[in-house]
Amino acid sequence: MAEVSLQGVHKLFGSVTAVEDFNLSIGSSEFVVFVGPSGCGKSTTLRMLAGLEDVSSGVISIDGKPVNNVHPKDRDIAMVFQNYALYPHLNVFDNISFGLRAKRLPKDEITTRTNEAADILGLDELLKRRPGELSGGQKQRVAMGRAIVRKPKVFLFDEPLSNLDAKLRHKMRAEMKLLHQRVQTTTVYVTHDQVEAMTLADRIVIMNLGRIEQVGTPDEVYKHPASQFVASFIGSPAMNFATGTITGTGSKAALKTDSGEGISLAGCDIAEGRRIQLGFRPEHMMLAKAAKPASGHISIGAHITVIEPMGHETVLTCDAGFGEIVGKYEGEDRFTPGDAANFHIRADRLHYFDLDTGLRI
Amino acid sequence: MADFWNKLTIRQKLAITAWLFLAVPLVFYITIRFYPTFEAFYVSTLKWNLLGAKKAIGMKNYIKIFADEDFWLVLWNTIKYALVGVPVSMLIAFIIAYWLNEIDFGHDFIRAMYFIPFLTTAVAMAWVWRWFYQPLPIGYFNIMLSWVGIPQQPFLKSVTQGLYSIMAPAVWAGLGFQIVIFIAGIRAVPRSYFEAAEIDGAGRWQILREITLPALKPTIIFLTVVSTIGFLRIFDQVYTMSADSAGGPLNSTKPLVLMIYEFAFDEFKLGRASALTVILFLILLVVSLVQLWLMRKQK
Repeated sequence: MAEVSLQGVHKLFGSVTAVEDFNLSIGSSEFVVFVGPSGCGKSTTLRMLAGLEDVSSGVISIDGKPVNNVHPKDRDIAMVFQNYALYPHLNVFDNISFGLRAKRLPKDEITTRTNEAADILGLDELLKRRPGELSGGQKQRVAMGRAIVRKPKVFLFDEPLSNLDAKLRHKMRAEMKLLHQRVQTTTVYVTHDQVEAMTLADRIVIMNLGRIEQVGTPDEVYKHPASQFVASFIGSPAMNFATGTITGTGSKAALKTDSGEGISLAGCDIAEGRRIQLGFRPEHMMLAKAAKPASGHISIGAHITVIEPMGHETVLTCDAGFGEIVGKYEGEDRFTPGDAANFHIRADRLHYFDLDTGLRI
Repeated sequence: MADFWNKLTIRQKLAITAWLFLAVPLVFYITIRFYPTFEAFYVSTLKWNLLGAKKAIGMKNYIKIFADEDFWLVLWNTIKYALVGVPVSMLIAFIIAYWLNEIDFGHDFIRAMYFIPFLTTAVAMAWVWRWFYQPLPIGYFNIMLSWVGIPQQPFLKSVTQGLYSIMAPAVWAGLGFQIVIFIAGIRAVPRSYFEAAEIDGAGRWQILREITLPALKPTIIFLTVVSTIGFLRIFDQVYTMSADSAGGPLNSTKPLVLMIYEFAFDEFKLGRASALTVILFLILLVVSLVQLWLMRKQK
């Protein structure tokens, strides 16, 4: 278990900036997830942490010691790759014990530790098999076995679940969480899947275009996204946005959208004339019969364009004039495309972002 | 006709089209390659001087060959070319490919430099090498030896050194091809294997032994077979470089193909030459079959 810190880390590939001014301290036994769209620099940051990429500037420390110029094998880390990187000609036992053999540990210690790791991951029956004879989930477990058997200071995971089908991914996610609770090793986990990030992380680092957009607990980034990017990235279906200008103040405050609709925002204290994006999550939109909302709520009218029944809920895609919005409901109501729908949203569940900077207001 | 065509399934139409395109090369191969090959089996049972009457003599050509001391010497020479040439060239090629793969600067240029000999005419190259082997004051090798005070070597004029002196340019000429194939093989190994091994603390040697080489097994088998066949068929270098007569001195550098050539076009013993060809054919067939068997085991 170790602390990890990245201070002012930059990474340039030629003249292209891949990671810019990355600052983060990771506590001992913390589970941190880097999440962002592809090309946001999350994998590059992880690879710098692993020592597979040089750091252009800044300092990476593990356990208080700068490791910028330390060879990967001397950093005491273990990494699980997206394609698992299992050696096809070695059996499961030899794959898991590879790192131990590299360290030239005594034979019986290698056997004990490998069996122990196999036991934790339920691989006992498979030790003699080759990777080609394993299912996706089993390969994934062997890859994790290779990491935990070394008892490293830090685990690094590079999109480890993205090659699995949805059902298996769900299962392995739970296993991963259980494993972390058991071994308590500091973990850095990279994914583009916000659901994985939300479910696994103690803290999430949301990245975009090489920069950190926000660092926070899953609850924080969901409830108080620091920027419009974070707001749109976290949550499924994604947050809805209306772009426009604030008009009026106090109880007369409203958003005049660029396409001309007025959305009453009574009590909103943003300066008149400011250009903003108003954000609201599908799960916070309540279907209402009346257009007029109760106090402390706002109302948005729209026409339903697409209806997607999911069983436990129904997702409605609607045309709200200022753009497409997505809402959902759990009731028994029946709609047909073209129907009018009114959504009421609690004012304290609205998010305001500056249109120019994208930052939360 | 159109009626017939329209009744065919898409698959059948595709097959007919494909076979039409294959017809020309197929006819070529059957008449120019396969027919003479089988003809050789027949000729190997004849006594024939190319112009005169053919006389069937059964297996006599083979019996004469196996009774001929020179044949066994030549066969052993041929095997020596392959037995020494293949491992030496593969080892050198692998070492060069392995380190060439590690550099980016000048990679393409250096690779091209190694490949050029492969594209050069064997005869032209052999002449230059033959010149390298000359005694003082012409031959570069003897000049270099004289710098460090080692006595003059006969090289091509020696019954012990001749074969290896001729093998050297053959090894050198084949390196470029082997290097290119090796690099392609190394590059086909997923990068993450090496990265994972590096993080797991494996040294260069463990990575080479446990990851690189096993991953290169198909490449190594392929190159071994191609190079073995190449060395078993060595001719140009020997014909151009060997001292005294072709294959000399005292037949010490003579390979099978050269013997075939001499029987056919110096002595006009077409039957004997064909019999030797059949023997070489069988040797090459066995090598190829062993390769197929090794490759199948791989899967």
